[in-house]
Amino acid sequence: MRDEPGKRTGLLATATVALLMMSGIAGQAARPLPTADEWVPDRAVLVLNVVQPKALLDVLLNPKLTAAVEASPAYKAAAAKPGFIGLKRGVRHLEERFGANWQTLLRRLTGGGVTWAIGHGKERLLIFDATDSEILGGLHQFALEVAKNEARKKGLPDPTSSAEHGDATIWALGPKAAYAIVGKRLVMANRVDVLKAALDLRDNSRGKSIATTTGYRRAMRAAGADAVASLYADAGVVKSLPKIAKALSAERNPMATLLVAPLTEAFARSSWLALSARIRDRALTIGADWDGTIGARGAARFARRGATMPTLAVPRRIAAMSLYRDLQGFYAAKDALFPERTSGLIFFENMMGIYFTGRDLTDEVLTELGPYVRLVVAEQAYDREIGTPAVQFPAFALVLPMENPDEFPLIAEEAWQKAIGMVNFTRGQKAEPGLIIDREFHKEVKYSVAAFRPPKKKGRKDIDVRFNFRPTLASASKHIILSSTDALAEDIMDALAKEKAQSVKPSGAAHSVTEIDGKQLASILTANRDNLIHRNMVEKGNTQAQAESELDTLMDIVRHVAGVRVSFGDTDGGSKAAARIQFAKSPTPGEK
Amino acid sequence: MPQARPDASPERVDPSWAWARYTPSPQCPWTHEHAAHLWRRAGFGAAWRQLARSVTDGPQPTVDRLLKPEADVAAFTRSFDRYENAAGKMVALRAWWLRRMIETPDPLGEKLTLMWHDLFAARTGDVELMRAHVGRLRAGATGRWDELVAGVGRDPAVLLSLGAEANRKASPTDRFARQLLDRHTVGPGNYSPRDVSEAARAMTGWFVRRGQLRFVEREHDGGTKTFLGKAGNLTASDVVKIAATHPAAARNVVRTLYRWLISEVEPPTDPLIAPLAESFAKDFDLRRLVETILRSNLFFSDHSIGQRVKRPVEFAIGIARALESNVPTLPLATALAALGESLYAPPTVHGWTGGRHWITAATLIGRSNLAAALLSASGAYGGKLDPVAVARRYGQSGPKAAGEFLVRLFATGIADAASLDLHALVGSRSARKSGGASPLVGKGDLLSRLRVLVHTLVTRPEFQLA
Repeated sequence: MRDEPGKRTGLLATATVALLMMSGIAGQAARPLPTADEWVPDRAVLVLNVVQPKALLDVLLNPKLTAAVEASPAYKAAAAKPGFIGLKRGVRHLEERFGANWQTLLRRLTGGGVTWAIGHGKERLLIFDATDSEILGGLHQFALEVAKNEARKKGLPDPTSSAEHGDATIWALGPKAAYAIVGKRLVMANRVDVLKAALDLRDNSRGKSIATTTGYRRAMRAAGADAVASLYADAGVVKSLPKIAKALSAERNPMATLLVAPLTEAFARSSWLALSARIRDRALTIGADWDGTIGARGAARFARRGATMPTLAVPRRIAAMSLYRDLQGFYAAKDALFPERTSGLIFFENMMGIYFTGRDLTDEVLTELGPYVRLVVAEQAYDREIGTPAVQFPAFALVLPMENPDEFPLIAEEAWQKAIGMVNFTRGQKAEPGLIIDREFHKEVKYSVAAFRPPKKKGRKDIDVRFNFRPTLASASKHIILSSTDALAEDIMDALAKEKAQSVKPSGAAHSVTEIDGKQLASILTANRDNLIHRNMVEKGNTQAQAESELDTLMDIVRHVAGVRVSFGDTDGGSKAAARIQFAKSPTPGEK
Repeated sequence: MPQARPDASPERVDPSWAWARYTPSPQCPWTHEHAAHLWRRAGFGAAWRQLARSVTDGPQPTVDRLLKPEADVAAFTRSFDRYENAAGKMVALRAWWLRRMIETPDPLGEKLTLMWHDLFAARTGDVELMRAHVGRLRAGATGRWDELVAGVGRDPAVLLSLGAEANRKASPTDRFARQLLDRHTVGPGNYSPRDVSEAARAMTGWFVRRGQLRFVEREHDGGTKTFLGKAGNLTASDVVKIAATHPAAARNVVRTLYRWLISEVEPPTDPLIAPLAESFAKDFDLRRLVETILRSNLFFSDHSIGQRVKRPVEFAIGIARALESNVPTLPLATALAALGESLYAPPTVHGWTGGRHWITAATLIGRSNLAAALLSASGAYGGKLDPVAVARRYGQSGPKAAGEFLVRLFATGIADAASLDLHALVGSRSARKSGGASPLVGKGDLLSRLRVLVHTLVTRPEFQLA
């Protein structure tokens, strides 16, 4: 504990320097400076450019979001730590000195942009372009005062020093922080030699900047000029990170491979990665581009050059996924793709042979299905006559187009009924109630549903979880629908009919699209609140109050997000991913 | 009446001394070690405040509180029953039971529930039936023995786990009857094969259908049976009561409690347990029997202290209770299963073998890994256990004071605890440098160092003893 005052001092100085670096300082001739990345040496492996900090801060400093984060147990735990307390004290001091709250201070200090770079080894470089030169000078003085005062209190010599480097002055507050102010730009590094290398780039004859390298230029072009922030990363370095390396080399089962191979295979072949952020109409879009392409041999090729159908819109939808996947081609290549799983796949194929009455899975079943795979997850509206389960599961469905809609439905029906029979037999062995198959109509479409006999007492709110399921098989609008409930199947039939009437076709360059509805997700979390709290208590060892607080924070954040859309696709020279987060309406952030 | 701890072998222990109330004396004083022993056996270990109060109050008032907790046990039970009702899955049910053990205001009741679970050893995959079964054991843990056995005899979980869910007149199944006689009540040597078959006949007509116990009259054998010397048109209830109240059953119950509360190292002699068995046979009151044992000279003697190996559950829950915090019990349930104790799933109809079988090269490493995970700042248990906070709670803030406090808390029974190199473990940087500690210890901030200290203490051989 004896070290804590020293730590607080260090943090105070760091906070000051950090804020200082978030600004520029007057004192240099006001001449236009080159972009900050032109001062980043070419040995950088990661470069973050925040070009429009204001747009980003508008989102991040949203009062509702800030309140939700500050209410989270993780934040509270961090806020109780001495380091955080010291940092807050330093920030408060600065607020008083400059007569502005920290949010305003941050906006003024970062208004011209921020660039952060990491090099091989432990080189760090931070560049801030400020809009307010007055405050920058004050911060510079403040940093020097704090460093000197703290050293004096500990009986140490003055740690500050300065040295001329060309026409710039390099300031040091100790061995681990050096900075220089050039015009309204402040450049900070963790080593003096790194800072000097950055300053030397002002003269093109003394080293090369990252902005001159081909990979960086391509990455920034892919990120787009309209991004509020962009990040370049050397993909080789990213792939060498232990967790990423493990994820890329992990052996996956065929289903997981079908889903993620287009992503992992393309990234494994890439040399750079570019991330970008855009903010428009209360929506934050995170884009990812990399130069790796899908190969000709891997599992990912069965998603190549595909365009997805739009996701299906149904009432109470929580999430939806739309994929382009050549199922027949993928399964036909199984022996080459999964040689270590041959025996398991033979067993699987034999089982499918039973359900599909001896038909060949590749040539007589999968070949009947088109490549547009769609999944839908929706909150359920329970029948009051039956009751509400104690744990409410969302309904989910798989929708696939059929090549031969006149014949395949009966083949699928036969297989489905055998599967239901198998489920009933297994449940019967455990003396558990079985499913009763029935045929129902929805707008002249006949479909099959298997349901449990309703409980004797109607309308209870804690009936068995099995009442979440009413497995349904339907074929409508040339699609086969395999749903966990008949209600969702009917909603999908309506959505498909509407799609057919509008002659909707596959479009876009994405081979995988996922959409999540924040409001509906919050709704099902609310419906399962007690169960989630109980789960949290035994999973995290929290008290009931702590568990409630964590869940409420999560629900606040989820409610703050109106929707999320994530897509992956391939481009001419690489691959592209985008995550669009649409925020719900909220007040604009206040400023002092 | 001798009060000093006897050095005689168990067979020479005088029963009248053994079961007389323990009264502290200069020869046999009441110490922190005795209090910790009581809390380990009659529960799952204790927090410092409980130990300190016990040391101040003395043994008998502590036993009073264990037998009749001051807190509202009924409210606690209702609350946890609600949690368990909604568990849904076996792993969640296990997690809730572990949490109950950590939080319970009635550790003795919970410990005895675990003991009956081990004895009756029911195991089915049906979450609801197992929840009801253990709930039944909990409700009757300190009640009347014959009523507890009667409840077990009507418990669908017990019958299902023995494969006795259908007992037909034409082909009686003796699975439950054999288990009742051999393990639950009179024990080997006190019944004949005929007693088993006659009991099976008496139990005909009972079926478990869709989780419910049903009696089908037409499948019941209404003829005369002779069972343990009693004849007549005996029913299932009759044979269960006859077996449960047989003098041999009384001796068997006393032996079971002796093994759990006194010692599992050597079985007691017949003369030693005779006074307890005779007294117990008068009313089959479990609470009175447990009380006699917990208050006895024998319980607080060297014949008992350290004469059991901690079960994995006792090991883990003991650490959590001492550090006064809940831990995530969902991962804990899985970790304990890997150490051999999966609650609600005894390995055989004979329960867990226990004793020295808990300790193998693999399980010792497993216990060390589990302790490290429990004490880690991150990972599955999320740094919930905070030795620094506990030490500060009792006014021990500095590294040395906190270290000594934790040694007192965890090192009960460790003969060379005083020789632990606290300077090397938790002292100042210079002290640690000069201490020549292993590379594992003495690094990081105070919390990290105290975590290492606690890990060192709970992985000592002595800590594995209950």
